[in-house]
Amino acid sequence: MAHATGTVESHVQHHFKSSDQQFSSAKLGMWLFLFTEIMFFGGLFVAYIVYRAWNPELFTLAATQLDTVLGAVNTVVLIGSSLTVALAIRAAQFDKQKQIINYLLITIFLATVFLVIKYFEYTHKFDMGILPGAMYTFEGIDHPKANVFFSIYYMMTGLHGIHVVIGIGLMVWLVLKAMKGAYTSSYYTPVEITGLYWHLVDIIWIFLFPLMYLID
Amino acid sequence: MSAHHAIPLKTLLSTTLALVVLTVVTIAVFYLNIPAPFDVVVALFLATFKATLVAMFFMGLYYDEKFNTVVLIFSFLFFFVFIGITLLDTLFRESSISIW
Repeated sequence: MAHATGTVESHVQHHFKSSDQQFSSAKLGMWLFLFTEIMFFGGLFVAYIVYRAWNPELFTLAATQLDTVLGAVNTVVLIGSSLTVALAIRAAQFDKQKQIINYLLITIFLATVFLVIKYFEYTHKFDMGILPGAMYTFEGIDHPKANVFFSIYYMMTGLHGIHVVIGIGLMVWLVLKAMKGAYTSSYYTPVEITGLYWHLVDIIWIFLFPLMYLID
Repeated sequence: MSAHHAIPLKTLLSTTLALVVLTVVTIAVFYLNIPAPFDVVVALFLATFKATLVAMFFMGLYYDEKFNTVVLIFSFLFFFVFIGITLLDTLFRESSISIW
């Protein structure tokens, strides 16, 4: 290290000039990934827009089968989990090891609450024969294409649900690493990056909630 | 601006409060039964405002290097192009052609 100025920390890869540069690059990389995520969900939102433009009355009728209260509770649950993940990052920035773990555990708990509520919503619909595509047997909606709305509903909320499951997996991994003291104020990139991912999952739901549950 | 900016606790808490209040407003607007196109417009306006709060204060774009904001804005621009070009097809099809 001919030009070493100050201490080079062990987590800095050789191709980065400094810890800050590495951190900024990781964040930019994550934002580019979130870009692809927006386009990924974007495809489904476009399907939603096209079918709603074709069948506006279908969306009004079918949305009555969705439980507004459960959707609203889940919205608040996800907002709360966004706060706790932000607090976990803050804890890392102030070197509060125990708080990182606690806030991540609360976030995992809230994410699980979200999935449990979603499970009850799904099973209630399955019992009534509200299934996607050709499996649809429910007769309570007077529209020949009622199954189309629910195909879109299951694809969008399902893909979102998969993202919640992946988020839980990532946060369990973060907790295990944090228990070994991996994250400090000088290195907490994985917590920050997972936080960005989790907030995007929240943003997607912020749009899904009014578009699915609040139509009339 | 440093990429390592710690977001003030007060900012995080007031953002959360604002998001919950806006969720209540969204639901209240739904029960007001605003006529057809405007209910969607209001709901999407509120959702976009909420998403902006999340992006600025939870995701830290307000404190961050501006290029990350540019990435986010461009993702939405490309999404609008995606919607626009698709609707140019689907909204103007012959009614005799069976859709789906």
